[in-house]
Amino acid sequence: KVQRVIIDGLGRTKDDLIIQQVQPIFQADNFEEMVMLSQEVKIKLQRLQLFKHIEIYIDTSKGSKSSVPNGYEVKFNVKETRRFTGETKVTIGSNNPELLFGLKMPNVFGRGERVQVNYGQGVNHVRDFGLNFMKPMYANPDVLFGCGIHQYNGEYPWSGYRELDRALNFNITFPSILGIHTLKWEGVWRDLRSLSRVTSFAVREQSGHSVKSSLKHDFVRDTRDNKVLPTVGSWIRVSQEYAGLGGNVEFAKQDIEFQFNQSLLYDTVLQFSGAFGIMRSLNLKNEIRINDRFFLGGPLTLRGFNIKGVGPHSDGDALGADAYWLLAAHLYTPLPFRPGKGGFGDHFRTHFFANAGNLSNISLNNHIRENVMKLGEMFRWAYGCGIVLNFMSMFRFELNYVVPVRLQRGDSANPGLQFGIGVEFL
Amino acid sequence: MSSLVAEAVQAEIGAYEPWPDNACLYQPYQVEQITFPDYATCLSVKTFLHMCSLDFHTELRINAEEMSPSGKVPFIHVGAFLVAELDPIIAFVNTRGFHLSRELNESERSEMRAYMALIENILVNAELYLAWVDETVSEEITKPRYGYVHPWPLNRLLPWQKQRSMKARLKSISWSNKTIDEVCEEVKTCCQALSEKLDNKQYFFGTRPTELDALVFGHLYTILTTRLPVSRFAVIVEGFSNLAAFCKRVEENFYKKFGREY
Repeated sequence: KVQRVIIDGLGRTKDDLIIQQVQPIFQADNFEEMVMLSQEVKIKLQRLQLFKHIEIYIDTSKGSKSSVPNGYEVKFNVKETRRFTGETKVTIGSNNPELLFGLKMPNVFGRGERVQVNYGQGVNHVRDFGLNFMKPMYANPDVLFGCGIHQYNGEYPWSGYRELDRALNFNITFPSILGIHTLKWEGVWRDLRSLSRVTSFAVREQSGHSVKSSLKHDFVRDTRDNKVLPTVGSWIRVSQEYAGLGGNVEFAKQDIEFQFNQSLLYDTVLQFSGAFGIMRSLNLKNEIRINDRFFLGGPLTLRGFNIKGVGPHSDGDALGADAYWLLAAHLYTPLPFRPGKGGFGDHFRTHFFANAGNLSNISLNNHIRENVMKLGEMFRWAYGCGIVLNFMSMFRFELNYVVPVRLQRGDSANPGLQFGIGVEFL
Repeated sequence: MSSLVAEAVQAEIGAYEPWPDNACLYQPYQVEQITFPDYATCLSVKTFLHMCSLDFHTELRINAEEMSPSGKVPFIHVGAFLVAELDPIIAFVNTRGFHLSRELNESERSEMRAYMALIENILVNAELYLAWVDETVSEEITKPRYGYVHPWPLNRLLPWQKQRSMKARLKSISWSNKTIDEVCEEVKTCCQALSEKLDNKQYFFGTRPTELDALVFGHLYTILTTRLPVSRFAVIVEGFSNLAAFCKRVEENFYKKFGREY
């Protein structure tokens, strides 16, 4: 029987939170269960990121207060995190490495709330500044409420514009049987300007200010064993966005991405992945702006093409479109002759792949079948092989030799060697 | 090649192309959006192009100011070229072989440049002062118009941002501290100089219009016809009868006669 649970080392963490967490331990009937439950509590406390250090001591209860002969005492020795911690890291988003400086305040008000201030600088003159607040709800580290403000300034040379975004967002993340859901409201003020005098007129016409107020729902289910070089498992992300509650941007967008991995003999892995997206403007007078459209092409998505090199272009500037699809098949094998086996060489793989896709505007006047046929007919595809490096399970480097087989007029292809770096890939 | 050199080369090569049919002038929406200083510059450019007998059509865009390569309206789209503001447009039109001041001699031409600079320094700044610094006009007219086409919260933020930058610009030339009386004095001096130059002639340099005529018409016509809570500038200009007559003449000869929009 558990007599007492002592938590030593609390400072700013609130008592009611701790009491709620350790309640289950009192239900233990025997020693084994008590140890197991204590471990579970320790893991939960770790996930709430309240403490730097948690140690469990179990002892028989002593003293006159022990009414039960076999009473136990469970003692948690905890060390709270410091009020401020800093971090410097490199993140990579779609071929854009960014150096981030962050100041974190974990467990700010005592119930696991986190405040984070970030400043980042990256390629393409990216300047990124953000302030985020996150709170686990009901002491459950899986249910998170967050809000934040964010300013992002970056150049988009493939389309010939630069954009300054100022955003405010509120979001809730919660799990369900199938996966993790995120519901987000975001209000963004976007200021788009042409990058240079030679920006195509079609992009120049999009210059100016727009305000997007949108509701977004993301669903993610990830059963892979490794995010960068998975050998087994699948990943699927479905997201919907509805913009139009205020602001002057109105559209509905649907986006699905998936990946299946299957391990075969001799450490080879077969991977199928794909993506599909469609959007339509909800305001008959306005068509969708270039900031919101889909783009396709790049060393990690549709290989064989330059970044955003697929689809409608004007004077070399990618314009994006309303709908796209992408399918890819990869075969990963260990490096030939397995150099550096058991160590460095294990981070590399060779891969053979074929990928196909299409990006085009759908016309609302045409029948659905005509649109589907159009998307299916004029597709592009490429195949190739290359080497993939799994960098600390965080990023993926790819160096491929690609042969684009089928292009459409206006595409910007990249035959031959192509190098890509990123986190998300298909 | 650096982009400046590339542009110069492009302009030289383009000089041999004829004026296309689809030349276009971009400006903000006339009725609801444009502020009167911008309207004055747009009218100057339009009058200049009409005086050169060059065809163009006008496109009204909410984001004309952001589309412009220099950030100011109006700008013209001729073939592959984008040119913004009156002086660059005059230079561009000259490379295409159209000269309004062809018959002037050197001293007259430099005189014309001096008068144009006078208008730039006084009338333009006076208009900006009245639109953005004067309390009544900026709160009642300019800011609501500037923000009208944008959604909340930009309809408050953007005019406020613009006002700050206009005030900073006027501060850098020491205009923001002037009182409205001092500004009116400046306008009066400028109009006096113009009136003396015009005298009884049809146009500033005789019987044929020049760039100066286009510029003067653009600004004086705007001052005379824009209805504002503070109408002191209009009163001043009306005090010079030959200037008012000049405006009527240009309006008659280049707009009413052809039924053109302005």
